[in-house]
Amino acid sequence: MLRSRLLTPILRRTSLITGRSLYSSSVVCHYDKKTSTSKDEMDHFNQLAETWWDVNGPQRILHKMNLLRMDFIQQTLRNHIQLNKDVTNPDDEIYVPGYSLKLLPKQISEQILLEQNLKRDEIQRDQPKLNILDIGCGGGILSESLARLKNVESVKGIDLSTDVLKAANLHKSLDPDIESKISYELTAIEDVPKTEIFDLITMFEILEHVNFPNEVLSSALTHLKPNGWLFISTINRDFVSWFTTIFMGEHVLKIVPIGTHHLDKYIDETEIKDWFKKKPEFEVKDSKGCTYLPFKGWVFSPTPNVGNYFMAIQRVK
Amino acid sequence: MSLIFRRALAYAVDSAPKSFEPKVVDVLVVGGGPAGLTLAAGLKNSPIARELKISLIEGFNLQPVKDFHNNPPDQFSNRVVSLTPQSIEYLQKIGSWNHIKEERVQPYDEIIVTEGISDARLNLDTPELATMVENLNLQSSLYQRIKELESQSEDNFGLDILDNTKVTIIEKDPINNWPIVHLSNGEKIKTRLLVGADGFNSPVRKFSGIESRGWFYNRFGVVGTLKLEYAPYRSIGWQRFLPTGPIALLPLPNDNATLVWSQTIENSELLTQIGDDLFVELVNAGFILEDIEMRYYYRKIKAGETKGLTDDIKWRVSIASKKYTEDELDEKFPVKVISVNEKSRARFPLRLSHADSYVSDRIALVGDAAHTTHPLAGQGLNMGQGDVQQLVKAIEIGLQRGLDIGNTLVLEPYWANRYPENHMLLGVVDKLHKLYSFTSEPMVQLRSFGLNALNQISFIKNFMVKTISGK
Repeated sequence: MLRSRLLTPILRRTSLITGRSLYSSSVVCHYDKKTSTSKDEMDHFNQLAETWWDVNGPQRILHKMNLLRMDFIQQTLRNHIQLNKDVTNPDDEIYVPGYSLKLLPKQISEQILLEQNLKRDEIQRDQPKLNILDIGCGGGILSESLARLKNVESVKGIDLSTDVLKAANLHKSLDPDIESKISYELTAIEDVPKTEIFDLITMFEILEHVNFPNEVLSSALTHLKPNGWLFISTINRDFVSWFTTIFMGEHVLKIVPIGTHHLDKYIDETEIKDWFKKKPEFEVKDSKGCTYLPFKGWVFSPTPNVGNYFMAIQRVK
Repeated sequence: MSLIFRRALAYAVDSAPKSFEPKVVDVLVVGGGPAGLTLAAGLKNSPIARELKISLIEGFNLQPVKDFHNNPPDQFSNRVVSLTPQSIEYLQKIGSWNHIKEERVQPYDEIIVTEGISDARLNLDTPELATMVENLNLQSSLYQRIKELESQSEDNFGLDILDNTKVTIIEKDPINNWPIVHLSNGEKIKTRLLVGADGFNSPVRKFSGIESRGWFYNRFGVVGTLKLEYAPYRSIGWQRFLPTGPIALLPLPNDNATLVWSQTIENSELLTQIGDDLFVELVNAGFILEDIEMRYYYRKIKAGETKGLTDDIKWRVSIASKKYTEDELDEKFPVKVISVNEKSRARFPLRLSHADSYVSDRIALVGDAAHTTHPLAGQGLNMGQGDVQQLVKAIEIGLQRGLDIGNTLVLEPYWANRYPENHMLLGVVDKLHKLYSFTSEPMVQLRSFGLNALNQISFIKNFMVKTISGK
């Protein structure tokens, strides 16, 4: 529910609940069979399905959030490309200075960056195309963005709401470029066949809604190929998060129904890092905080341990 | 089978694929002027955007643009623009400036602004303040760059240029809302993003429903290509504010120059109709004679009493020149004009207009389709170049984020970047125009004091120079 970090009245009617949270609340049901909130949320989602793709409608804030998610995914993938890995001739090496590019004159640093980026493009072009699993895909905002990338082969989006998946299927059929690259399925991550493995799995705004996040996380990880990436986002359990997502989001601005969030379900960035320390086959490669600035949109913050954050995990073994 | 029926059948078969299934592209650029061609070249030059399928349509014949490179005309064209260093930097970046015919461009490093009623003056100078380029030269360089990129591309280049083709109707696809543009050649193009680089009367803007606000200045710009008595020692842009509007003489290579004279509707008509000799003397007079004398000549011309008028103007100009020493004449006035190229005189209406937005769902407007300005600061085309630069950037970012480039989320940053800057420039130019339209004595004294004061205050001058040169 990171989207509740919005304090402006414009967002008053903006729902912070996405397919992801429905997915997750259903996951809650899945594990403890309590369905007390799911009827309300289901109605809420049915209403949302119609306006899901209206970028100026109630989901605008989610559409804006998606921009930063994509930036995070793209930057992480590109930053972890080893530029001179397969280069044998030193003359062909791309120059990677051992110090900040800011120390160089602008023209030179721009030239270096340009060369590095062209090399990254080249490497990405030559790599096998990615197969992606988007857990809690909702109306398909992230799935469609991923599917449009040139280095993506296919995207499978899963969710537990029939209505949002209907909206997702309808919308993808409008764009001939991506229609055949995406498939949506009404299923939980636990029910995805073990044989299906992916280069990249996304799970945005899920963990803070499930009762047993470690089980959901473990389940997702079993579908990751060697060297594959998992991208997640959730919320730190701190005062800032309580103030923005619960106090402002639920009680003052009433962007989401009261009771949507439970502070005790929020997970600190350090807790996830610690959890992965016990799993040597995975490495947390990056985490970045994110903040909503009125009039500007979502921006990265230098503090992944406050409020909302993204995290990138790679299977290294 | 009757012949008529056969013909009809042949026609139906021939036109069937054209009229039923529209061609589908990512970007359809309407307009093959500098803005539209820069956009096409900019996108095709971008490593991120080059795979986009693009169509560009132009209502007029682009043959002169295509021919310019191998067969440039002897004379300079009358459509000349002043490019800022910032615009040139972008053209260099996208690789089109290499194809410019350098021998036909003229950089200048100083503008001398004077006024018609008092002796106030302002000198603005900086190395490479701006560069005069013929529109045709600019378009040709962009066209050549596009051809070059096409020859370098390994697979399908994905850019079609259709000239002599006009937009007839624009409609929306009932299913996915993509614009479908019907063309005068019977074709239809369905596009993810429709870009209006189609000028002041933009059909794309009309289709988008975006409101454009502004006014006609009740002035026309009279242009012409001129020959000077000799090639000036230094390249200087001259502009004198007359109560009817500014007269500007801008340098072209050697002894050539180009004129932009803002005039009342009536005078502009006279200036395009009178004989070449009389016109030349009026231009010379415009830089030195007083308002009352100019008005006398306009009256004479209007009454058709032009006999002996050329000599009369020459005589008055020589009298006025006697007030100055040789050195002062060199310093304060442009080199005398001796002739005007045949058929190079033309006029166009001067307007201020600004669209409320440059973007809506699947639509973006650039250049004159979004804004038009008075030419007195030479900013019109440069504003369009700035638009294109930002639109290309917005599209690149959108593609990297996997977004649909027709989505307003992609296009909004372009508008947010350009609107405030353009609005400021339009406003400043508009205020300048109004300030110099006054003829009442206190107003003249006040603005002359202002102009002279400006001339002394270097930091404001630096700011103005920066704005003009876009640095």
